[in-house]
Parts: sequence; structure tokens; C-alpha cells
Amino acid sequence: MYGGGNVFEATKFDDLQTEDPVKLAEFEARIARGEKIEPNDWMPQLYRKQLIRMIEQHAHSEIIGALPEGTWITRAPGFRRKMAQMAKVQDEVGHAQLLYSAAETLGKTREQMLTDLINGKSKYSNVFNYPAFTWADSNIISWLIDAGAIVNQMANAKGSYGPYSRALERICAEEAFHLKYGHDAVVHMATGTPKQREMIQAALNRWWPPIMTFFGPSDKMSTHTETLMRWKVKMASNDECRQQFLDMYVPKIWELGLTVPDPKLKKNMETGQWEYTEPDWDEFKRVINGDGPCNAERLAVRRTAEERGAWVRRALLNPKAKYVRPLA
Amino acid sequence: MSLTSLDPRVTRLNLPEEMPTIEPKPELDQFETYEAFHQKKEGAAHTYVGPVHAPNEDVAFLFAKEQYSRRFPCVGLWIVRTENVMVTPYSGDGENVYDMMRVEEPAERSAQAEAYEIFHLKKRGKAHTHAGRVMATSYQEALQEARTQFGDKGPIVNVWVVKSKHVLQSAEEDKDMWTTIPEKKYREAIAYKVMDKITKYKEEHKTTAP
Repeated sequence: MYGGGNVFEATKFDDLQTEDPVKLAEFEARIARGEKIEPNDWMPQLYRKQLIRMIEQHAHSEIIGALPEGTWITRAPGFRRKMAQMAKVQDEVGHAQLLYSAAETLGKTREQMLTDLINGKSKYSNVFNYPAFTWADSNIISWLIDAGAIVNQMANAKGSYGPYSRALERICAEEAFHLKYGHDAVVHMATGTPKQREMIQAALNRWWPPIMTFFGPSDKMSTHTETLMRWKVKMASNDECRQQFLDMYVPKIWELGLTVPDPKLKKNMETGQWEYTEPDWDEFKRVINGDGPCNAERLAVRRTAEERGAWVRRALLNPKAKYVRPLA
Repeated sequence: MSLTSLDPRVTRLNLPEEMPTIEPKPELDQFETYEAFHQKKEGAAHTYVGPVHAPNEDVAFLFAKEQYSRRFPCVGLWIVRTENVMVTPYSGDGENVYDMMRVEEPAERSAQAEAYEIFHLKKRGKAHTHAGRVMATSYQEALQEARTQFGDKGPIVNVWVVKSKHVLQSAEEDKDMWTTIPEKKYREAIAYKVMDKITKYKEEHKTTAP
């Protein structure tokens, strides 16, 4: 599972003029040849900062994303679904571990990342600031949020940073199960009793607006974005990802006789592009900045887990331990 | 007012609605790092899978087993403290890093030759793979020895050198720890077959498709 929609803000390292022109040319030539960048290579500050931000947000989205689904483990209908839901949640937390390590190779420690998450300084996917009211909500998350995540991750796996690509390869392999599991759960409800259909349709109606914001607002095409695309940090625009998602999943929603709560949603056969009601980006900004239905709860739960485990970590710490960045 | 959640277990924690910012986590709150190498099947070379954070080698082994062998076939696992891995420079793809390294005088030399494990990265973005074991009195000598023994097999982008005594290896007699019970199909994509239900639904509701 992954929070897409990275907003690529300008940083103070935006100015490539301060970079060594010879090293920059070598770096760009390496990427142009299709080679991956490894942690010890020289890289521009902008590349490093942007990747840290992106991989860190991705890692946070994995652990925070496990919370709304995690609460449904004990209430999942039937033993088999409990086991599957548990396996999925465990996968997501494992993904966070892989991603934190990939970000660490760029120089930000896991301690710093967790501090920034709890203090609200680093973001995670905004969709997890919405509640999962019923088991059907959990199914919609498992299917469609993971589907969105896969669109994003498949694109990013082809990016230029070695450790991130390696982590994403493992992650994508596990996500295949999540997607099928989620689809199976939704199909079960949609082809079940009238009450089950009603539940899954209601959950889809609740989740559709957040899903449409999942990939983030349209990119402002700036030289900054172009640079990041040339460096294979950003692999596809937010709109391209959204279009691909709609192409792949709207037909699968419709074939179940479910409706999408957007009267404008249709594929324009001439342009080949989906048309839809523009998501409420003001709400998106308000929620991502802390004012959503579940922001406080998500961070409080994460924080409590961290605080309650602190004494165990202190007790286990080897006094001779020395921090070394992971290698790759 | 304390925080109320849809999940009664969260509500019962009685957490305040607003919480002050936390102090930055102290250094090593998340422990030091270890690198893990797995063996996919009998006879295959150990391959790098990734790092774990752990308070000691044994816990690192448990974490790595959970993280890297839970979902994929695995018959062996090696753990090395990150600090104990000597890393050469990286060359470009298609080149051989052994040809680019200068021979350096070792800073430390052991009185007697000891075993070193050599790992090669053949292409950027791929994973380091165990090339073999050499005997030497220093990391530098181990590299020279590795070059002679396995250094001419195509492009090698990067080399890791580790003293064998620094590698925690899963034991032969513990092999049964890798057997997964077969009834875990619920976590495989292949266990979910929905087409029958969808086809049946579509046949029964032919007119509803938009």
C-alpha cells in the first residue's frame, strides 16, 4: 500500500548552479544510460532531498495505512479472512521497514523520520486520515487503495535510485496478493445479499472522493518537475497515474453493477482520457495539514506504540553500539 | 476530552485529543543496522536482501527471518553487522571494479590467515551475491585474492568483503525452521479466484451493465 500524490515542492536546493558541473554531467549521463544510482555515488542535493522526502512519505504511508485495516482483524468475518487480513497488515508494516532503510541510505536516520512523522512534520498518504466505518470500507481500501498504490509503485520501481528499486521489487511482489484479496472481498459482497451490496456500495461512495485525490493534484509543469523526471525520480505525472487507475479499475467496478458517485465520470472516446468532477483540493489541503477526521487518532496511536515500547528498546540497547548507515 | 475512535480499543487508551510535540528520538533508539543475505534454494549462492535494525546479532537474525523469508522461499540466512562490511568503490555498469582499484597497504594485518567472504554486485540496482571464500591476513589481501580467484567473470560493479567470523549463519541442523506449513495459501494471490462469481453475476444481471 502506498500513498501517492507526492507534491514536489521547490526546495532551497533547487538551484543546480551550486552543483559541481562535471559531477552533475557524469551523474546525468549515468541515468541517461539507464544505470542505477547507488548510495555512495555523488548526487545533487535536490536528488537526495526529493528522494528522502518521497521514500520517507511512502514508508510512513505503509505503517499508518496498516492502522485502519489492522483494527478490522478481530472483527473480520470468519477465521480465513482474519488470517488473510493479518498477513496483509504484516506485509504493510514490513514494507515500511524496507522503505525506511532505503531512505536511510540517503542520510536521514530512522529516528529522525519517526520523530518527524509523530510531530506531523512529514506527511503520509492523505487517504488514511479517513475512517473505515465498516468491514466493507476495509475491503474497498484493500482493493482500490492498493490498486492505486500498485500503479504508483510499478512506475517508481523503474526509477533511478538502486535501494528504492530493490525495495519496490519485493513490495510489488507482495502487493499482488493484496490486490486479489481485496478484489475477492469486494466481489463477495457485491454478488452477495442485498444488504451486502448496499454495504459495499456505501463504502465505495465514501471512499471515492479520497481515492480520486490519491495521486495528488495535477502537477505544475515546471523546470523543477522536468529535472526530476529526467533524473527518474518522478516517473509519471499525477494525472497519468490517475488516468491509468481509472482505465484499469472503473470497468471492474461497473461490471459488478456498482456505481461510482460521480455523474461526470466517463471516458472520452476521442481523447482516450477519463473525464471526472475535479476533486475538492481545498479539502485535500485542509486534511493533509492536520484537519481530517482521523489525523489526530492515527498519530496518537503511532506515538503511543512508540512511547510504550521505548523502555524495551532502551533495555536492549547495547552500550557499545555504533550507528552505521545501511549499505544498500 | 479524550480521543474517541470507531475502534473501542483506541478509545479505551484515553489518549488526549491534542498532544505536545515530542523531543527528537535519541540516537540508536532504533538500534544499529545489520545486513541480511538469503539463500533461495539448496546449493544457490547467498544473495543480499536488505538491512534490519536490531539490538544484537541474534535479534537481527529473527527480524531478518521475519522480514525476508516470511513470504518467499528461503533455505538459509546470513547476518552481518553493517559496520563489519568493507565496501569497495562502485564502477559503472559493464566495467570491472577490480581493474580500477589501487592496491593499498593494509592498515591492520592478522598474524595468521583467516577466512573472508566475498560478495559481488554484477549490475547496479541488482543485489550483491556471494562469490566465494578466500584466506587472507587483511581486507586488502582478501580483495587481491578474490580478484585472482573470481575477479575475471564478467562485469563486477562493487565488492563487499566480510570476515567469515563476522557472519552469523543459519545452521544445517536448524533447517526445519524454513519449512512453511502448506495451509498458508490465503496469503497468495493465486488463492483468490473471482472470475466464476463475476461471470455468474453478469449472466444473472445482463441488463445492468452501463
